[in-house]
Amino acid sequence: MSCPKTELISAYLDEEVRSGDRAALENHLPGCAQCEAALLDMRSLRSAFAKTDRHQAPYGFTTRVMARTAELKSPSPHPLPSGERIKVRGWFIPFSIRFAEAAVLLMVIFVGIMAGSFMTNGSSMAQTANLASSLSLDLFDAAPPGSLGGAYLAMTEASNEK
Amino acid sequence: MQNSDDLDRINRFKNGDTAAFGEIVLAYQDKIYNLCRYMLGNAHDAEDAAQDVFLKAYQALPRFQPDASLYTWLYRIAANTCLDYRKKPVFASLFGDSGEGERLVHDRASDAPSPEQLYHSKQIGRELQISLGKLSPKLRAIIVLKEIEELSYEEIAEILAISMGTVKSRIARAREELQKSMQKFREQNP
Repeated sequence: MSCPKTELISAYLDEEVRSGDRAALENHLPGCAQCEAALLDMRSLRSAFAKTDRHQAPYGFTTRVMARTAELKSPSPHPLPSGERIKVRGWFIPFSIRFAEAAVLLMVIFVGIMAGSFMTNGSSMAQTANLASSLSLDLFDAAPPGSLGGAYLAMTEASNEK
Repeated sequence: MQNSDDLDRINRFKNGDTAAFGEIVLAYQDKIYNLCRYMLGNAHDAEDAAQDVFLKAYQALPRFQPDASLYTWLYRIAANTCLDYRKKPVFASLFGDSGEGERLVHDRASDAPSPEQLYHSKQIGRELQISLGKLSPKLRAIIVLKEIEELSYEEIAEILAISMGTVKSRIARAREELQKSMQKFREQNP
């Protein structure tokens, strides 16, 4: 037998070779340093894999998964291709909602800019005063008729005059 | 070939018992998490992807045909989830560091190793993990299914939906690339 492909040696290591091929390979190996070395390298790679860590799911994993399944609607009865490539997360927000969000955000920014320039602009102090008076609570009585507030205000005014 | 516990859980779930799904998660969480951990290289992405795997399974389980085995079906969802996972440079944070709350097991743990043996095996583990990170995701998936999950070619072919011939040639190629890469690593880090 001439030297087999590494593919066959690799399958031999995994015990995935037909019996005829296996017998031929086992006859060939002892006389071929190159193929023996290839098999030895694959074996040492396997032992490196055996020494690496196996990871277990973190504590509370099942609880977290079950909490997320509870947020989903009950499983869909519509056929989907064998479970793969299903969009799990709600990335797909309807365009109308995205548009509304963008519009609100722009309005907030606009109002913020206007408020900023309004408050920092010194020349508009008079306007500010007008606005302040128009916004003041003078329209309302400080003490509604019949309340004790009126008596209290009268007392404090009297004491201030003294 | 369906495990009888799985068959029972699947039937209960199809009859509206959602707790049966919790049992499925508990039974397979470590295998699925470990595969995602090796595929994605860090604990955070692994948990995220593993959760997605079970959410997809939860949604698709009502249509699952019990003539396929549950674990190969779950592995299939996991492999696809990891292959599709954010196409960003994987292994920016190298494997090796275990994440918060993550638990490690040495499957074939021998008797308590000496500090030298431990150091040596840590070194080999590091070489291997860095080299794994350099493989293409497809080759990484196949070699992890073979060497870590210890599945047969037939199971791997079913999981990755490829022929047995492709499984055979990809495994050989993955081994070759890993060996070269580990050799290079050793030369650069004597």
